Formats: sequence, C-alpha cells, structure tokens
Amino acid sequence: MNICGYYPESINEGEGLRAAIFISGCRHRCKGCFSPATWNFNYGEPFTLQRQDEIIADIAANPLLSGLSILGGDPFFSAPEVSAFVDRLLDKAGPVSIWIYTGYTYEELIRDTASPEFELMRRCNVLVDGRFEEALRDPSLRYCGSSNQRIIDIDTSLAAGKPVLWTEKYSFHS
Amino acid sequence: MALKNYAYNNEEQMLGEIMKLGEDIIDSRDLELLRENANLNGESFSGKMSKFGSEYAKWYAKHFIMPQPVVSAIDDNYVYVHDLDQYAIGTTNCIFIPFDKLLREGFNTGNGSVRPPNSIMTAMALVAIIFQSQQNSQYGGVSSNKLDHDLAPYVAKSFAKYFRKGLDYFEEHPQTDLGDISMSRTDLKERYPKTFRYALKETEIETLQGAESLIHNLNTMSSRAGGQIPFTSINYGTCTSPEGQLVIDSLLTATMRGLGSGETPIFPIQIFKCKQGINQAPGEPNYHLFLKAAECSARRLYPNFANLDAPLNLQYYNPADPDTEFATMGCRTRVLSDRFGRNHLSGKGNLSFNTLNLVKLGLEHGIALGRRKTADEKGFYRALSHYLEIALEGLLHRFRIQAAQKAKASDFMMREGVWEGGEQLGPEDKVGDLLKHGSLSIGFIGLAECMKAMYGKHHGEDSAIYDKAFAVIAHLREYCDRKSEELNLNITLFATPAEGLSGKFTKRDRVTYGSIEGVTDREYYTNSFHIPVYYPITAARKIQLEARFHDLCNAGAISYIELNGNARSNPAAFLNIVQYALSQQVSYFSINHPIDRCSACGHEGIIGATCPSCGAHEKDVHIRRLRRVTGYLTGDFQTRFNSAKQAEVRDRVKHTQ
Repeated sequence: MNICGYYPESINEGEGLRAAIFISGCRHRCKGCFSPATWNFNYGEPFTLQRQDEIIADIAANPLLSGLSILGGDPFFSAPEVSAFVDRLLDKAGPVSIWIYTGYTYEELIRDTASPEFELMRRCNVLVDGRFEEALRDPSLRYCGSSNQRIIDIDTSLAAGKPVLWTEKYSFHS
Repeated sequence: MALKNYAYNNEEQMLGEIMKLGEDIIDSRDLELLRENANLNGESFSGKMSKFGSEYAKWYAKHFIMPQPVVSAIDDNYVYVHDLDQYAIGTTNCIFIPFDKLLREGFNTGNGSVRPPNSIMTAMALVAIIFQSQQNSQYGGVSSNKLDHDLAPYVAKSFAKYFRKGLDYFEEHPQTDLGDISMSRTDLKERYPKTFRYALKETEIETLQGAESLIHNLNTMSSRAGGQIPFTSINYGTCTSPEGQLVIDSLLTATMRGLGSGETPIFPIQIFKCKQGINQAPGEPNYHLFLKAAECSARRLYPNFANLDAPLNLQYYNPADPDTEFATMGCRTRVLSDRFGRNHLSGKGNLSFNTLNLVKLGLEHGIALGRRKTADEKGFYRALSHYLEIALEGLLHRFRIQAAQKAKASDFMMREGVWEGGEQLGPEDKVGDLLKHGSLSIGFIGLAECMKAMYGKHHGEDSAIYDKAFAVIAHLREYCDRKSEELNLNITLFATPAEGLSGKFTKRDRVTYGSIEGVTDREYYTNSFHIPVYYPITAARKIQLEARFHDLCNAGAISYIELNGNARSNPAAFLNIVQYALSQQVSYFSINHPIDRCSACGHEGIIGATCPSCGAHEKDVHIRRLRRVTGYLTGDFQTRFNSAKQAEVRDRVKHTQ
C-alpha cells in the first residue's frame, strides 16, 4: 500500500487540528475529482512499517491534535492494510479519534458485516461518505466537497441501526 | 552649535547630505524609506511632509545630540535606536490611557472642555476623541487596558435613562424610590417587566451603535502626523457585570460586521484578556464572550489573546483592581510592573527602546564565516556586554532629554493626567520625576540567525542550541534587572516588534559579510526569539519552544501560529490552539491566517489568483491581502509593507495545512 500525502497538522479535513494521511488508489473515478493522480495504487511512497511508526510517533507526540483523518484515493480499496495500520496506531498511541473519507456510502459499507470494509469503518469514529458529484460541488461546505456527501457518526449510527449525522463540538454563531 | 559626531571635510559636503534627504523624499526615490512604517503612506503629500521633518530630525540627532559611542554603534550596525526622529525633542513612546478617570471627570482637549458623558453612545465617541487628543503627545501607540470596565458605568447610565422613559411610556409607575437603576437589578425586571425589556433592548441597540461608531472613527481619523491613523489598541474581556459584558459583546459584533462595505477594520487592534475563572471554561461568567472573541479572531485576525494567568502577569493581579490586569499595546509592549509601586497599567507607558543586532555579534564570534571551528562564546558575551552598555547609555541619555521637557510639550497628556500625576504640573514645570514610572527597554532581533551564525543551527533545530539561545536571552534579562537595581529605573527586556528594522540590519550585514545561508541570505532577520517563519515545525512545538522566552521578556513579546485554510470553519482547531498557547504560559498570542478580499465582489476569505466567488483575476481586479505585521494589521501588505516584510510574509510556513 502507498500513501500519497501526509500532513502532520491540518484544519481542513475534520474538526480540530488533525493529522491527515492520504492512501493511494481509488476505483470510483468520480468526474471532476480534484486529484485523479491519486487513483493510481502505485502513486506516492510505500507505507512501510518504518513510515507508519514515524507518523504514529508524530501523532502521539502532538498535544494539539484532535485526531487523525484518513483520506485518499479511497482508503476502503485498501481496507485490510488500513485496518492493520489503525490497529497499530491505537496500540501504540492509545485512543485516537479517527475520521475516514470514502466514495462508498455508509449503506454500502454495512451491507456485509464480515467484510474488510466494514471492519475498517468499525475502527473509525466519523465517516465522510459518498462519491464526489460534480453537479453538487459546493466550496462552502465544511470538510467535504459535494452536498450529497454526509458526515456520519459511526458508533451512534451502528447503535441506532441507521446513519446518524455527526454534530460538531464547537460552533461559531455565524 | 558645533557638530558633535561627524567630521565633514567641508560645509558643502554637509549641505549636500541635507539636500539629498529632501530630494529622496520629494522624488519618492527611496521606497524603502517611505515604507518603513506600513501605517504611513510615504508617497502622499502629508506623508512626505512628515518624512521631511523626520529625516532631518534624525540627521540632527545623530550629528548634534547623541553620545558618540551610540552613534558609532548605529553606524556599525550593532544597535538600532527606534524613533530616532523623536530623540532630540524628548518625546516619549506609548501609554495606557485612564479612560475611567477622563470620562468620569471630563477633560479639556486644549481647544475646549468636554463634560462627562451621560450615555454609552457619547462615551464611545469620547473614547475616540481621547485617543485622538492623546496621540500627538507621544509618538507610539495609545491603548486602553480595560475598556469594558471603563465603559460599563455609561451603559448603566443609558439603561437608567431608558428605564425612566419606559416607566412613563408603559405607565408602570413606581411607588417607592428605585435606588440605582442598573441591568443587574433583577428585582426591577420582575416589578416592571415591560419597562425593563424596553430599556434593555434600547441599551443594546445604543451600545452596538456606539461600538460601530468607535471602530469607524478609529479607522477614519487620519489625525496623526503624515496622515496616519492613530495606533490604537483596546483590551477587554474580564468585566463580568451585564453592562461590561454588553460592551465586549458589542465591540465583537461590530468588528465582525466590519467597516462600511464589510471589510476588516485595521484599528483598533483588539486584545481579549484571558483569565481562568472568568472566561476560560464552560460555566465561567464570560466564557461565551471568549468563544465569540475566538470567532471574531477567526474572521478578522483579532482579538489577539492576553494571558493573565502567565506567572509573569499573575504576580501583579489583584482581582479587585482591573487596572492590575495584564494588557498590552497592539505591538506587544508590556508596562505592568514599576519599581516605584505603580504596578498597574494606566497612566504610564514605555519611554523608548533600543534594539541589539544579535546576528552581527553571532557572525563575528561564530563559525559561519569559516574563521574558526567552534564558536567563541566568551568573545560573544564580551561583545554583547559592550553593546548592552551602549544601548543603555543611549536610553539613559534620551531619558534625560525626555525628563527635561516642560509639561506643556505633552500638553494633553500632562494637563489631563493621562500620564499619572501630570495634572499636578504647571505648563512650565519639567516632567522629570514623573517619567520614572515608565519603562526603558532593550530589545533584540534575530536570535535564530545569531544561533545559526554561532553554531550552524538555530534554536528550533536542536535542543542543545535551544539551551544556548535561552541562555543568551536570560543573560539580557539579568542585565536589565541588574541595571534596574543599580540605576533605580524600570529597565526591561523587549522582544522588539521590528518592522522598519527587519530588513535594515540584514541589508548592511550582507554587504559586510556576504550572503550566508540561513543567516544573511534572506531579506529580513527573524523577529525577536521567534522560530524562523520559513522553518517547518508543528504548531504545538513552535508554541512550546517560544513560550519560555515570554517569561524573560518583561517589556513584551508575542507569539504567532500561521494557519493555512479557512480558520472560520474550524472553531475547534482555533480554540484548541489558543488555549494550548495559554496553557504553555505564552503571555500574548495570536493566530495568523490569510484574509484576502476581492475588490470586485467583496468576497472575503482565501483567494488565489482568481476569486472563487466572482471569478475575477488578480491581474484585472485588485485583491486586497491583509496580513499582520508587528502585532498590528495593515492594509494591503503588497502595497504598504516594505520589501523585507513582504519577503517575510511570502516565506511564512503554515503550521497547518
């Protein structure tokens, strides 16, 4: 598995200051995708154990982070490998809030609870779901690109048996 | 008068130099000279008129007034004397204005007297007038250290006025004497609900209008020499009465709304005073105002945040006296402590400051020039002591000139007691002894480049170098403390807000030593003790590394984080960063993020080459790009900043993506 980007701190991919990792490879091929280069599974650098450890150490050492965001590509095309990384992270750094971005919908991911895709989602806290729809593109949206995409609270949704939207912790009035 | 410091070969040569001063200004030949100060349009008539006076005054001070060692240290690029144009005439730097006293007693501007205001609207208007009256008594900033506390009584006056009106309108006639009517009188709310609601609503409207007019006034009065706007700062955040809270809330609302077409106001720089127990956690009385301040800061670049809980500031804090709460000039100047007992803010200020070029000392004693394998630390400290003495000599010499001035020279400031005790002086009396409550500060620039020149790495790169860097600044502070004792004066250490200076030392050092990587190869030196703006480092790490220096710089310091991205849409990140900085004992903090404004459609946010809203291209339409320099904002950095500061802005690494 390759990664095609890593920001130690970002304010653009989820609530709070978050580390962001971009996993190479995507087969959704959404029209108007802002980075089609990342569709290629061989794009970027190999996500070696050493690189994983560096990033885990960064995350563990940064008191300002609210968590990690995993983006792509689409991490769900590499679900088993990403799950292994998440386990490694949680094992070494303790509880970390994880946001994960995908072109799949929540409903698609829960269809088979024995699938590696479900297993990956289950490990994360917030799911930003849905393919990018060029016609629904809205640059004013927070943390996503088109208005069909949802920000879903995973634990609450699984408990409720239906998708429940995430609600922000802080908000400004306007 | 005889020339003191310069041997001209003949009168013609001297005359030639004076004439060149004027010609450069008239023909706008030297843009750097005209852009020393981003707040002054040096290409305008009034800007040029001001420059004429200023440049000649500098020339005169250097050749006829100043001690020779100080002039040599300037000429040799070791020391910089700020606001040299004011040296010979003895002007002082900045002040915190006792607005409470001036509003309570009324004042005289020199051309007419003003009665105490009876409403918040009038009080807000008078705040602008007081700022304006005071500014030309000094050359630096004018600040309010507790505007919420100072204005709360006038909100109460407005409320009482509307309440009496309401009683009449709604025929809720009281049977007994009501006593002092104020917004916290819940008994009145129960007994006269309609009247109370009406009075509250009217007072809220009036306070907001007052706040809007104050902010507009402070952005439009070009009353400072050279057509500048006064450098105004207002501090607030801790007043917990409903009246004080309304003042804070209204100022924030008015700031978020912006000026006439919604643009970000440049002045006053606003500082929100953070105090645990008052506004830092849910349940505390002003926490909602802290959240609103963060929102405003995410939209408008300020308020900045002052840390009343940092040990440096907390030691003077008396909960019963808001005048002991740490506040700051927008630029970062701090004047809280006074060895003569005035450990409060209003009624005094900084007198002047001189800045040391740490980089040059580093170059001469370090490894960067290839003259030696290891740094000559002994030599460095010897030279440092030498130039500290000279910088101090300049401050003391200037102090004597300042102290010899008559009260009438800073008429409003002294006559009205803006400077505490000044009201007791006659116009011909010397200000002498009163000025001792002010601070004389030694500043420094380029700690990062100094370390690089000494050891090959700066203090963000290596923890051993960090210790050495810290030791240098601790040494400076010890010197200031020791001299304070010896001379019985307030001598303090300053993390200099280098604006004009940021490129001046560098330019000349590059001529002397050539372009040296990481030292003189950029157009500017790194501000004070900051980690270089171009060095990639996480926000938390930058805060951790810089925090410890705040405690040393008792004349003031500021730390920044650069955010890339729309700060407005991620309140959690914004709040976390601010509160983390406070928890690390940073004394004064702010978050920089880009605010661009399309002049075609008014869209504000991050704008690349084309406006995301209307599609206009920057080649065709002016995109105003607002940035912060020295703690203040300026208009468009591309037209108002000098080249060194423009380069610094370009190099600023975002600590977040």
